Amino acid sequence: MRNSKKLYITAACAGLLTLGFTGSAFAFHSGGVAECGGCHSMHSPAAGGTFLLVGTDQSSTCLSCHEHAGDTGPSSYHISTADADMPAGVAPLQRTPGGDFGWLKKDYTFTVRGTATTELGETHGHNIIAVDKGYAVDTENANAPGGTFPSNQLACNSCHDPHGKYRRLADGTISKTGAPIVGSGSYDSSAAPAAGSAVGVYRLLAGAGYTKDGVTYNGVPAAKVPSSYNRKEDATQTRTAYGVASAGGHSTWSNWCSTCHPNMHSSGNMVHPVDQGLGSTIATLYGQYVKSGDMTGTAATSFLSLAPFATNSSDYTALATLAKNDNSQLAGPGSSDQVMCLSCHRAHASGFEYMLRWNNEGEFITQNGVWPGTDTTPAAPQFARGRTGAEMQAAYYDRPATTFATYQRVLCNKCHAQD
Amino acid sequence: MNPNLKKYITSLLVAICLLLLSGKQALAQFAEGYLYNLSNFTGVVPYSWATLSVDEWQNEVYVVYQNLVTVFNDNGMEVHSFGDSLDIGHILDVAVEENGDILLLAFNDTKSSVFRSNYRGEPREEITLQDLPPEFAEMHANRIAYREGNIYLASEAQMKIVIVDAQGRFIKGFDLIRIMGIPEKDRADAGFSGFNLDKNGNMLFTVPVLFTASILSPAGEIVSFGKPGGAPGKFNIVVGMVVDSQGNYLVADKLKCAIIVFDKDLNFIKEFGYRGEKPGNLVAPESLAIDSEDRLYVSQGRKRGVSVFKLTHG
Repeated sequence: MRNSKKLYITAACAGLLTLGFTGSAFAFHSGGVAECGGCHSMHSPAAGGTFLLVGTDQSSTCLSCHEHAGDTGPSSYHISTADADMPAGVAPLQRTPGGDFGWLKKDYTFTVRGTATTELGETHGHNIIAVDKGYAVDTENANAPGGTFPSNQLACNSCHDPHGKYRRLADGTISKTGAPIVGSGSYDSSAAPAAGSAVGVYRLLAGAGYTKDGVTYNGVPAAKVPSSYNRKEDATQTRTAYGVASAGGHSTWSNWCSTCHPNMHSSGNMVHPVDQGLGSTIATLYGQYVKSGDMTGTAATSFLSLAPFATNSSDYTALATLAKNDNSQLAGPGSSDQVMCLSCHRAHASGFEYMLRWNNEGEFITQNGVWPGTDTTPAAPQFARGRTGAEMQAAYYDRPATTFATYQRVLCNKCHAQD
Repeated sequence: MNPNLKKYITSLLVAICLLLLSGKQALAQFAEGYLYNLSNFTGVVPYSWATLSVDEWQNEVYVVYQNLVTVFNDNGMEVHSFGDSLDIGHILDVAVEENGDILLLAFNDTKSSVFRSNYRGEPREEITLQDLPPEFAEMHANRIAYREGNIYLASEAQMKIVIVDAQGRFIKGFDLIRIMGIPEKDRADAGFSGFNLDKNGNMLFTVPVLFTASILSPAGEIVSFGKPGGAPGKFNIVVGMVVDSQGNYLVADKLKCAIIVFDKDLNFIKEFGYRGEKPGNLVAPESLAIDSEDRLYVSQGRKRGVSVFKLTHG
């Protein structure tokens, strides 16, 4: 080997290197502002680039790291699958709770009762604009549904503060200043902020006063996620523990979503309730529901990540206890726990229209004990909707169809038990 | 003036001049010229981040994209394609052996498999990996390379590399987490990119989250270089990496949209490319490949396809 002039490392030096790398860029954001050079190029910006971001646009810059061509499955912090890795018939690969933006590129064409139908990928999620990555503006909605936010401005930084200035202080309040951010606060394993320090807010989400294109957030929602969160749920579920907090710089989850979608919020509008307690009837049904025709479940093991709820707690320690991926925390809701937007929708994108967690375009989500597909249930194209059985299973985060009833009805029934 | 001071200043000036001359010489020695983008009879093929590999004996380039392997000749024209009708899983990468046989790396949801096909891409046999130690048994390779009878398999996500012989028998394995001294808890968040080989079988790769590029010898010795930053020669998000016939290392930076060139001693020489619409500009370059005539192939995003440059050395 020729290059002895530079840093020469051998396996024997691994111990020393451990010291050298500790605290380096693995986490990158570390709950706050990351290394500037990871996103900005101070001396060689693109012609016409803004903010010295060399990516064509803000979201393309984020996806420089958060998408990686060559992935073979869920991969840590990747939230999008490259075009090269998802040919026709292959589902996007990532399984984060927010969902893989790659679903936005999955158009499906199928024929139902003689009528050819196309389900556009853009109906599957938030249409971030990332030109370098092939993500384009929503062609159907000029503004956020139920609001005025312009669709042609939608980017990762519409919801996330790229510099991660919002922090949770030792007293539990959210602030943009007050103490240095020492690490992420998103994970079950994240340390609680000690006096004089702070941790980042959940997922660097936008907080009070964060303004983008005419909308201003009024707080940060509370949540915790398992440290290993981008994973298949074929064996165990990934439980994101959503909380309910509205004081001290916090916002409840759906109130936060309503920053851009105000008329989708239940206050004064004829829409499904959100940010409201489930009540004892719904909570009881959730606990009893196993699958269509089976109400023999027990509340202690009734949690379903395809229909999560917000735990009525602002205690991050309690939320961290619930945020597990090993099925050790499957307790269902109490009557004061809340339904929220994310009970039915994923935040980024899903395999289904309206970024729903399940296919709501038909009465069944399974057919004769299998996931519907052009290959598995060719006689029922209305349920496959152009997907292969494998794609359908991927959209349910790889659960076996036997998780549900042979003819499972849509998952509205997890709370409403009409089946 | 104090004679010693005068002598010191003279020496300093001479040293600076030599340094400048040395730098200019390096700049003069390396040059790149944009040739064309890989094309077929309908025009430039609009790939986004296709995976590249080269048949160094025939100087053909293989492009893997959405389960289709397309072969381009040394003029950048498509001459053959295969893969879309194969039932071996999702083709991730290919490598070519001396006799023209093609090694196909495929993934079928649960595991990686290696197949040997003829020059037309028709699979002839599956190469079963044998005698893998437990720490490599569950490896999901997503990159493959070939050198002098040995097959290199790399898992970028798991940060592992194994070398097997032509029949799949284990020769050696490398756990980069251990070699680089990265804490085990950070394995999932680390990952490497740009896996390639040089002519001596040294393994080249980048670790984007560390802003470094590395050269790993078959003996397990590793050299890492690079610092974060936007200045010329520094790294933003580094991905692909190759070495040219003169031993110069070329590293793709997909955020900077540039190819960063270092000489064989890892001294920075120059950058080229940069975002733009002109010929020779690059948009988010990622995978790199280089043939025996020093034609550099650069895979880009935004459906910009694969740009080809000719490297010269003064």
